[in-house]
Amino acid sequence: MEMNATSGGAEGQREIYHLKPENKDEERAQHSEDEQEKRKEKMGKKTLADVIQEMKTFLWNSEKREFMGRTAQSWGLILLFYLILYMFLAGMFSFCMYGLLLTLSPYTPTYRDRVSPPGVMIRPYLHGFTIAFNVSEPSTWTPYVNSMHHFLQAYDDNIQEEKNIECPAGQYFVQDGAESEERKACQFKRSQLQNCSGIGDPTFGYSTGRPCILLKMNRIVGYRAGYGTPVSVNCAIQKGNESALKSVDFYPGNGTFDLMYYPYYGKLTHVNYTSPLVALHFTDVKKNDFVPIQCRLNGEGIVNDVANDRFLGRITFTLSIRM
Amino acid sequence: MHIIALTILRYESTLKIQGYRLWTIKSLCPREEREKSKVPGFKYEVCIGLTSARAAEILARDGPNALTPPKSTPEIIKFLKQMVGGFSILLWVGALLCWIAFGIQVAQGVASAFDNLYLGVVLALVVILTGIFAYYQEAKSTNIMASFSKMIPQQALVIRDGEKREVSAEQLVVGDMVEIKGGDRIPADIRLIFAQGCKVDNSSLTGESEPQSRSCDFTHENPLETKNIAFYSTTCLEGTATGMVINTGDQTIIGRIASLASGVGNEKTPIAIEIEHFVHIVAGVAVSIGVLFFIIAVSMKYKVLDSIIFLIGIIVANVPEGLLATVTVSLSLTAKRMAKKNCLVKNLEAVETLGSTSIICSDKTGTLTQNRMTVAHLWFDDQIYSADTSEEQTTQSFDQSSQSWAALSKVVTLCNRAEFKPGQENVPIMKRVVVGDASETALLKFAEVILGDVMGIRKRNRKLAEIPFNSTNKFQLSIHETEDPNDKRFLMVMKGAPERILERCSTIMINGEEQPLDRERAEAFQTAYMELGGLGERVLGFCHLYLPEDEFPDTYPFDTDSMNFPTSNLCFVGLLSMIDPPRSTVPDAVSKCRSAGIKVIMVTGDHPITAKAIAKSVGIISANSETVEDIAKRLNVPVEQVNKEDARAAVINGMELKDMTTEQLDEILINHSEIVFARTSPQQKLIIVEGCQRQDAVVAVTGDGVNDSPALKKADIGIAMGIAGSDAAKNAADMILLDDNFASIVTGVEEGRLIFDNLKKTIAYTLTKNIAELCPFLIYIIASVPLPIGTITILFIDLGTDIIPSVALAYEKAESDIMNRRPRHKKKDRLVNEQLAVYSYLQIGIIQSIGAFLAYFTVYAEQGWLPNTLLGLRVNWEDDYYNDIEDSYGQEWTRYQRTYLQWTGYTAFFVSITIQQVADLIIRKTRRNSIFQQGLLRNKVIWVGIVSQIAIALILSYGLGSVTALNFTPLRVQYWFVAMPYAILIWVYDEIRKLFIRQYPGSWWDKNMYY
Repeated sequence: MEMNATSGGAEGQREIYHLKPENKDEERAQHSEDEQEKRKEKMGKKTLADVIQEMKTFLWNSEKREFMGRTAQSWGLILLFYLILYMFLAGMFSFCMYGLLLTLSPYTPTYRDRVSPPGVMIRPYLHGFTIAFNVSEPSTWTPYVNSMHHFLQAYDDNIQEEKNIECPAGQYFVQDGAESEERKACQFKRSQLQNCSGIGDPTFGYSTGRPCILLKMNRIVGYRAGYGTPVSVNCAIQKGNESALKSVDFYPGNGTFDLMYYPYYGKLTHVNYTSPLVALHFTDVKKNDFVPIQCRLNGEGIVNDVANDRFLGRITFTLSIRM
Repeated sequence: MHIIALTILRYESTLKIQGYRLWTIKSLCPREEREKSKVPGFKYEVCIGLTSARAAEILARDGPNALTPPKSTPEIIKFLKQMVGGFSILLWVGALLCWIAFGIQVAQGVASAFDNLYLGVVLALVVILTGIFAYYQEAKSTNIMASFSKMIPQQALVIRDGEKREVSAEQLVVGDMVEIKGGDRIPADIRLIFAQGCKVDNSSLTGESEPQSRSCDFTHENPLETKNIAFYSTTCLEGTATGMVINTGDQTIIGRIASLASGVGNEKTPIAIEIEHFVHIVAGVAVSIGVLFFIIAVSMKYKVLDSIIFLIGIIVANVPEGLLATVTVSLSLTAKRMAKKNCLVKNLEAVETLGSTSIICSDKTGTLTQNRMTVAHLWFDDQIYSADTSEEQTTQSFDQSSQSWAALSKVVTLCNRAEFKPGQENVPIMKRVVVGDASETALLKFAEVILGDVMGIRKRNRKLAEIPFNSTNKFQLSIHETEDPNDKRFLMVMKGAPERILERCSTIMINGEEQPLDRERAEAFQTAYMELGGLGERVLGFCHLYLPEDEFPDTYPFDTDSMNFPTSNLCFVGLLSMIDPPRSTVPDAVSKCRSAGIKVIMVTGDHPITAKAIAKSVGIISANSETVEDIAKRLNVPVEQVNKEDARAAVINGMELKDMTTEQLDEILINHSEIVFARTSPQQKLIIVEGCQRQDAVVAVTGDGVNDSPALKKADIGIAMGIAGSDAAKNAADMILLDDNFASIVTGVEEGRLIFDNLKKTIAYTLTKNIAELCPFLIYIIASVPLPIGTITILFIDLGTDIIPSVALAYEKAESDIMNRRPRHKKKDRLVNEQLAVYSYLQIGIIQSIGAFLAYFTVYAEQGWLPNTLLGLRVNWEDDYYNDIEDSYGQEWTRYQRTYLQWTGYTAFFVSITIQQVADLIIRKTRRNSIFQQGLLRNKVIWVGIVSQIAIALILSYGLGSVTALNFTPLRVQYWFVAMPYAILIWVYDEIRKLFIRQYPGSWWDKNMYY
């Protein structure tokens, strides 16, 4: 049905559809194309000069007297605000830290679960666990010897006798009393290491191809190593031919850490404490080869088989002695 | 053989339309395809159609009759784009640096080298996984809508080799003769050479809601206006026609529009721009801090390798790895919520676009209106009555007591060929399907609502003869028996164009009495006709005549060809006017848009008067606004003398628009707040949208037709109608209104604004902890303390504990009435502004860092490492060979024991950040209001977030503490509470900040602290 009754007879002539211009000679099409181009220019990327100018204005806007978008007063206010805020925060943090330190004892750490059971270290220590030298070339082993001498200075017999006391062997040297009281330390004389003391042979056997290595158990405050039975040390080839390591001598004793050196009371009160040592004298090791050796602590409470920590209750090092 | 007269050859005018080829029939129907008519007495030549060979030739030349589908980016490119967009580049650099560090360390034989390899792999995985996630989200939301190919009619009846055959429409070529009938889709652009009662529905192409009749007459230079062309993809509603294919595939009008649409580039959505801006800020901070500290590290005599590793840490700490995924999730949550409210979002980012919309260019038909003709006014007894035009009308309330109404209703009922399709008794009247054209349908439904059982009335008043409407008579009449058995007269009823009907009348019915139609009555009629016409309504006149019994006995043979009955001196009964009425929800929605600062512009293909009437009735032009023309009329001065600025409203015709310069259009868009564009072409819709965009506006365009699709594409957000919308429109749109209801847009705007606010909160929340993650590295480099937090641990915060809480912020309710403020300014109201970054980074972030460092120092101090011992410890601490480092108490630590302690430190740092992020989450619920105003418990999802955050932290610490690769350890219970004072500080501090903002709006504090 189509009745010519539409309102007011608005027979609006519809504009001719000019869809995508193809006919270049059509004026309107070109006109709109020009326009588009103009707009593109307007919308398009700013030139480098514009950007630099913008940056300059941002840095210093002389019109508004603004530096980086703020006037001097505005900068003053904002900096003052942050000064106050940060001072408050610093104060609060200091207060909290002070509170924290108040809860700590200067003599005993609150927790010791992360540091025990003890780890093991050796001397000489030259940033690595491969001890390689050529007997006939002193320059290859003097660093080791120097490291040993340096380490054993504190164990010199006269120093020990002067500073420390002789303790009854075979039992813990427990010193009760106030926490802050200074603790005595037991003597561990260098001479106890016998062939490895560096007294008789200042080269610790390195010049003869029978090197000494000192083994030290890590200190832990209050730790009673072995729970009554001294912790002992044994060494073995880690992997491979067992015959590469024929004999090891242990000093002092049978390679044990005497109970009298425990417990340790911390560095504040136990000032002259020297860790007990076990010297390993490798008297017959296969020469001209890399010999991997693992030494373990044995005793109650000692853990020496954790996969992650290869220095917990054990230590692995490689001997390479060339003749 | 089918023969078609070639009378059409007379119309040889070649129409010049840009880009649209119009073939002349002569050139299409070469001499060898014509033959002398075999019909006796018919002197013209006839066209017998193409031969198959010729058709194949043309097909080879022009290609198949199908639209080239819009070019789509290959999936792999889309995927790769996700892999390099946003922060991905930074993370790739991080991963690459990791692998470089790994390579160098392996060469140097460092034991921990593999950590870097793994970290690199993890970083790459993070990028790939977030990329896959983003790609998946995009693929899911980019609903592959029914594409253009769906519009192609399957089969066409074509004359080839002189005989009719069915071929696939794709095989049609220029020059083919095709036949169409009612119900068919037009298979190509066709120039008609024979038509009988043919009507087509061009609404999807031109926006005209009325059926258009087609004939062989060339009536207009414009192919869209001329009656002898039927267009590809439109529907033939009734009648039959034969025509010659003049254009196929992309050359058709719809093909041109489709290519116009695909030629319009997809603009970046505002939220995409905002996110890009935010990524730039964060990446800028990351790179500059990274480079700065790389230089510092190198000049502090760190090894270059170490410096590279620091750089990796700084990058990882600075990049909020989970944020983009969080934003996507938040957007898709909103999209889901909107889908429930009938807004289906195709492009996720469009969710927010609606919120920043400042101008809506709305199509009229189907969006603002119901897209069906409905009786709006009646005129009888010299009086205008209004009818109910709402969607769900069940009764009509105007005065129906008059005898005139009884007569009018009879004419309306009987002089009508439309019928309900059977089997719809239980369907509401307004929803029933009707066979018949729009105005007859309107009358049928109108009668059914008031009288009920129209079909029964017609049956009782048997129809004896009928003259259907035709364009020469401009009336329709039928003759009926009356239902009164005592009345043997016949009733002749007639309707048609009012002035034509009036011409045939000599009397008029007033209060049931026939009275002579004198001059006064005729003037009253004119006044009413003009008034109804002025409302933009289509007016029909109705008259009747009882044929005298003596002249027309029972057996009288009515003959419609010879018209052996009177058709003048009839009795005029009344006028009925119809309009496509506005949807009832629209006026309210328009006023809501107004108060939300959104300008609603009507852009329609319809006539200015109809457009203006609808605009007025829905409030696009408010009641007291005037156009320049209105003012001129009121003051009785020429239009030129009116000060244009006095007029708030403007109605612009397509013809005027055509002659306007860009500046003039801009001027109109700026000066008038209420604008209607009528009689616009697709190209002009595009120009209008561009004009709005030049004003820095975010433009939403609604539309349903193919003619709207270029504008839909050009708009910042194109909104297509789900029910009435054409596939082309849906394809071009970013959003689809499932219920075709303009009011749904308002919901969408609200959701869009809310998500923008909430994304701000999410980003503020996420950025805060970046400082707490970054500071450890800076302190580590400067003060050489053991590393407080590891890169892997940072990733667990960014991609673990923080994810659910940041999504939970998307559920936060609005702080104030977001529909009462102006839309955000595209360039001024940024998602991440200076205040947000500074407040998060330099204030809350710093507090968080301090809280976390307190936990770090506590853990170390209680294990024997006092803060002063830690300073400068780094080199020894990290020495793999150094297995007897002394702590503050003289205890000696192996490397692994230290590492384990370091991991405990990581865990404590991590837990502290988590605890403080809980406080951060709570404060981010609001930006201005107090948390207590907002309600601590109103958003339950926040609490889910908090619980998840703590649960994940608990699982990581206690459940996965034994997995060494993750660097977590079971933490002592008290360490969970170390940062608590700082968490409380964060809350209190933020409450103070908000209090001052509320108390002193516009103050220095407000300007610097409100983000």
